[in-house]
Amino acid sequence: MADKMEKDVCCDTKTDDTCCSGAVKTLILACSGGSNVGQISNSLMIRLHMEGIGNAYCLAGIGAALSGFIESARAAQTILIDGCPTACGRKALEKYGVEPYKYFVVTELGIKKTHDFTKLKDETDMAFFSLKKQL
Amino acid sequence: MKIQILGTGCPKCIKLTENAQKAAKEAGLEFEIEKITDINKIMDLGVMMTPGLAIDGEVKSVGKVLSVEEIKKILEK
Repeated sequence: MADKMEKDVCCDTKTDDTCCSGAVKTLILACSGGSNVGQISNSLMIRLHMEGIGNAYCLAGIGAALSGFIESARAAQTILIDGCPTACGRKALEKYGVEPYKYFVVTELGIKKTHDFTKLKDETDMAFFSLKKQL
Repeated sequence: MKIQILGTGCPKCIKLTENAQKAAKEAGLEFEIEKITDINKIMDLGVMMTPGLAIDGEVKSVGKVLSVEEIKKILEK
């Protein structure tokens, strides 16, 4: 996928004092759904954010068709993490023509989809290990 | 029509403001310009890169200095 670096893109809103950096932001989105893998996707998003890979962002804002969220996703590089092959996140982005820069599905990272939330920490660790190798 | 410029006031934000004013004048529209410079308000709109352009509360562009012609196309929709 073509890099979106453009010289007329500016101004990371978190570094307003050093505006107009020219860098395109990386936004990380997760399906955050109601299964173990949905919740793991959310945890992976937070871990990537904390590692400085990008900024955690709000897929619900896009699902709710809020213009600022849609336009930000269009202007950014997006890393999308879906929990399972149902791919709700991917379908939400497709509605607005947003192709993820990187795309992961937690079930493809070696985690089986269940509604057991008692093993999230260990499963997240395993999924994160797999994901980092593919970044 | 309210044309909102989302940005903290950097040169690119100022340029977008100028382009938006020119576009609205050339399109013969009645308008007012609102500059939203509060980062929290900008982020509440979901905007993660500035400058941004919104028309009557709807964000039309993020992270780009649109040209006069590009803005006119948006205004005419």
